[in-house]
Amino acid sequence: MEPLDMELEEGELELPAEPMHLNMGPSHPAMHGTVRIVLELSGETMVKADVQIGYLHRGFEKMCERGTWAQVFPYVDRLNYVSPMLNNVGYALAVEKLCGLVVPDRCQWYRMALGELARISDHLTCDGAMAMELGAFTPFLWFVKAREMVWDILEEETGARLTHSFGRIGGMANPPTQDFKGLCRAALPKIVDLVEEGERMLLKNRIFIDRLENVGAISGADAVGLGWTGPCLRATGVAYDIRKAHPYLKYDEVDFDVPVGTKGDTLDRFLVRLGEIRQSKRIIEQSIDRMADDGPINCDAPSVILPEKTAVYTTIEATIQHFKLIMEGAKIPAGEVYSYTEGGNGELGYYLVSDGSGTPYRVRIRPPCFQITGGLSKLLEGRMLSDIVPTFGSLNMIGGECDH
Amino acid sequence: MPTFKLDGKTLPFEPGDTIIRAAWRQGIEIPHYCWHPGLSAPANCRMCLVDIQPKPGQRPLALDVLEWDAKAGEYLPRQKPKLQPACYVAAADGMEVLADTSEHVRRARHDVQEFLLLNHPVDCPICDQSGECKLQDYWLDYGQYQKRMRDEPVHKPKGVVFGPTIVYDAERCVMCTRCVRFMAEVAKDPVLDMRERGSLNEIIVAPGRRLDGHYTFMTEHVCPVGALTTKDFRFKARVWFLRTARAVCQGCATGCNAHLDYDPRSNRAYRYRPRDNEKVNKFWMCDEGMLSYKEAHDGRILEPKVRGVATSAGKALDEIKTVFAGVAPGSVAIVLSAEHSLEDNWALYEFGTVLLGSKNVYVTGRRDGYHDDILIHRDKNANSTGVQQIAPVAKPLRMLVDDVGASRVTHVIALGGAAPVDPEALGAATMVTIAAHEGPLSRLAVVLLPATSWAEHSGTYVNAKGMRQVSEKAIEPLGVSKPAWQSIAQVAAALGYEASWTKLHEIRARMTAVKGIPNTARPPAAVPAE
Repeated sequence: MEPLDMELEEGELELPAEPMHLNMGPSHPAMHGTVRIVLELSGETMVKADVQIGYLHRGFEKMCERGTWAQVFPYVDRLNYVSPMLNNVGYALAVEKLCGLVVPDRCQWYRMALGELARISDHLTCDGAMAMELGAFTPFLWFVKAREMVWDILEEETGARLTHSFGRIGGMANPPTQDFKGLCRAALPKIVDLVEEGERMLLKNRIFIDRLENVGAISGADAVGLGWTGPCLRATGVAYDIRKAHPYLKYDEVDFDVPVGTKGDTLDRFLVRLGEIRQSKRIIEQSIDRMADDGPINCDAPSVILPEKTAVYTTIEATIQHFKLIMEGAKIPAGEVYSYTEGGNGELGYYLVSDGSGTPYRVRIRPPCFQITGGLSKLLEGRMLSDIVPTFGSLNMIGGECDH
Repeated sequence: MPTFKLDGKTLPFEPGDTIIRAAWRQGIEIPHYCWHPGLSAPANCRMCLVDIQPKPGQRPLALDVLEWDAKAGEYLPRQKPKLQPACYVAAADGMEVLADTSEHVRRARHDVQEFLLLNHPVDCPICDQSGECKLQDYWLDYGQYQKRMRDEPVHKPKGVVFGPTIVYDAERCVMCTRCVRFMAEVAKDPVLDMRERGSLNEIIVAPGRRLDGHYTFMTEHVCPVGALTTKDFRFKARVWFLRTARAVCQGCATGCNAHLDYDPRSNRAYRYRPRDNEKVNKFWMCDEGMLSYKEAHDGRILEPKVRGVATSAGKALDEIKTVFAGVAPGSVAIVLSAEHSLEDNWALYEFGTVLLGSKNVYVTGRRDGYHDDILIHRDKNANSTGVQQIAPVAKPLRMLVDDVGASRVTHVIALGGAAPVDPEALGAATMVTIAAHEGPLSRLAVVLLPATSWAEHSGTYVNAKGMRQVSEKAIEPLGVSKPAWQSIAQVAAALGYEASWTKLHEIRARMTAVKGIPNTARPPAAVPAE
């Protein structure tokens, strides 16, 4: 029997090459929270990738504008919920800038140490999860083990592991515990050991390197054009770190380096984060060395700082102070302010407007993830479908921060 | 007009004004406890002390003091300006006064505040004044210190019942004597006084008397702290949960301006507070008026009824259609209500005279009652003058009783439940009543439709002096009640007529067009474009 296609040209055997449409997310385990990427595929190559955020929407800024200034702290915990301390400190600094308050030195060192712990937790989560999504489960467990050590310290200090709500206008909720310095000194070498162990396992792994190297690369100029900041920008070789460029707290008094990449690809982003963990360790060590063991942690500002609880129960003055601050909120002088700090993912900016009342008139948040996620489709288009997972993972998009 | 300078700002004043009053007229508050714009000034709280600059060439008023010098480690003789009470010193042309800008004045306020709180109990969590207390406000504005006294504070009587309405707490009292002066100067019944001196000082009621009469609530209203509380509001609500509407008291034809405080969560009115209006009630209200906020909830009609049996609005309107079938317009009477707003009355008036074509217009309302020459008016209706303006020909309800008796009127559409005369004879007529509150006319009604009270809708009321005042909506309508003007449009529709209004502003515009009644609720006219 003759084959049926005997007369046909070889070219005609091919299937029609119409692009295939595919939804990645919003409910997909690699879509970190809820992002949807509408893909147009030619074979396995992405012709077009339309990144859509907005599936996690809480009306975040509007919520902040309904309570008192102090009631915003629990909300900002839920921005980048892997490093809530950085968000707390960033918001506190913004309100303090509006009030013209400067917290005591002890509090500044404390805020730096806690913030850098949060940054370590943030970077460990990002790199660990990225490895896991590429099939490397063991390093993920090691990184999370190291993160648990960070969270143990934060729990000891704040009482909560994840959403601490620990910042206060003009200070912190509590002074450092007696064990704080000891806990940090004990945990930091162990954390770096675990990071190095994970590194040895991953960076000699051919499959891991091949899936990261030259994938999702972006030039420094493009990244700046997109408004990128943080580790993703530094991976392209642009050494912009707000802690160096516009120092706040005591960052100008400590020694640390700004790790940068060269190619701006996924591997660089992975490595920059690991580098920053080591720098954070240096900052924490210097901070706890220089932080006094006693002294005030809060500003001497009765108009924003809550009185001592025993005084509230026994004296009318403290009762009035407590009542006014809780029921009406601290009256923040009328005006507007933009204050920015280096968050886990880059420039975390707060634009606040006060009408002089106890409630924020406007809270606008510049979350670093928003701009970074905006560049995702540029990284993806032309790449293979399987490149989404490492590329997206390396951007460390956090749904809570992308709430717009 | 002469002027003086307060903190470098030039303020005009009327000759005879004290510094504090001149500032108050310009909306600037000099902190004070004992001064009240409606009362005399005893200058006893010392909170309003200001630094009056000497005239050029004059020696400044100064005090010799010993001040601790930390550097020298001893007390050194110094001089500081002698401060004077702003509530007692009359403003003079060209006078220069320092208040907020003077370090000495701020220091004095701080110290006065510390003295006033010296023996104050830790009562904020259980005090009704909390949230609107001057002690709290001024501590934050001028105090911001912590307690230095380590002794047990002086204890004084708490929960002293002054009379049927007022309870006194001597520990919270700052001895400003506003209540004493109110009773003596405004209520003309000097029943309150002080006894003892210093930290044992307290307010008492004259022996053999109680704090009673028609103006006792105002003693609580003038109290700048939580010393006087009313039995009515005590422990009922926390003020920061309350919202307020600018209302007009419905108790009598004076039409006192009031704040109606309500809780939007429970949709309940909680109290009245007088709203300052120099032309009507100045700063005051009477006890009956202060308690009349309760009428937003008490004695209300909340569902339609046919012959006393509750039913739906649709069935009630069907019944109206049935009982009005084939009735000649000449035998229908409409009864306006001096209790209801201009808008409600206008709707009924237009429906009755224009749509139905009836010429029988009557007016009802509450009976006259107690009156005095302070605030309380004989006429207990908020809008008698308004009804007069809409329908000058309206006949009193007494004549309707006669007309029904003589069978000249067989059907009645009435607004409001109250009646100034015994209306039992109206039972012979078929009556439709639209009312917010129970009364003789609601009991006689064949069909009864619920209306919203003044608290649940915006309405205009004309007081005895002929002043049109708008009372704002506070709470949401209770039950299935709706504004009477809406129900009247529905009654008109049931009888086959189309009302000319569907919105409140249409009624207001129509009253202006037809009767020339100025539209009080209309926003100011826009500036015409070039």
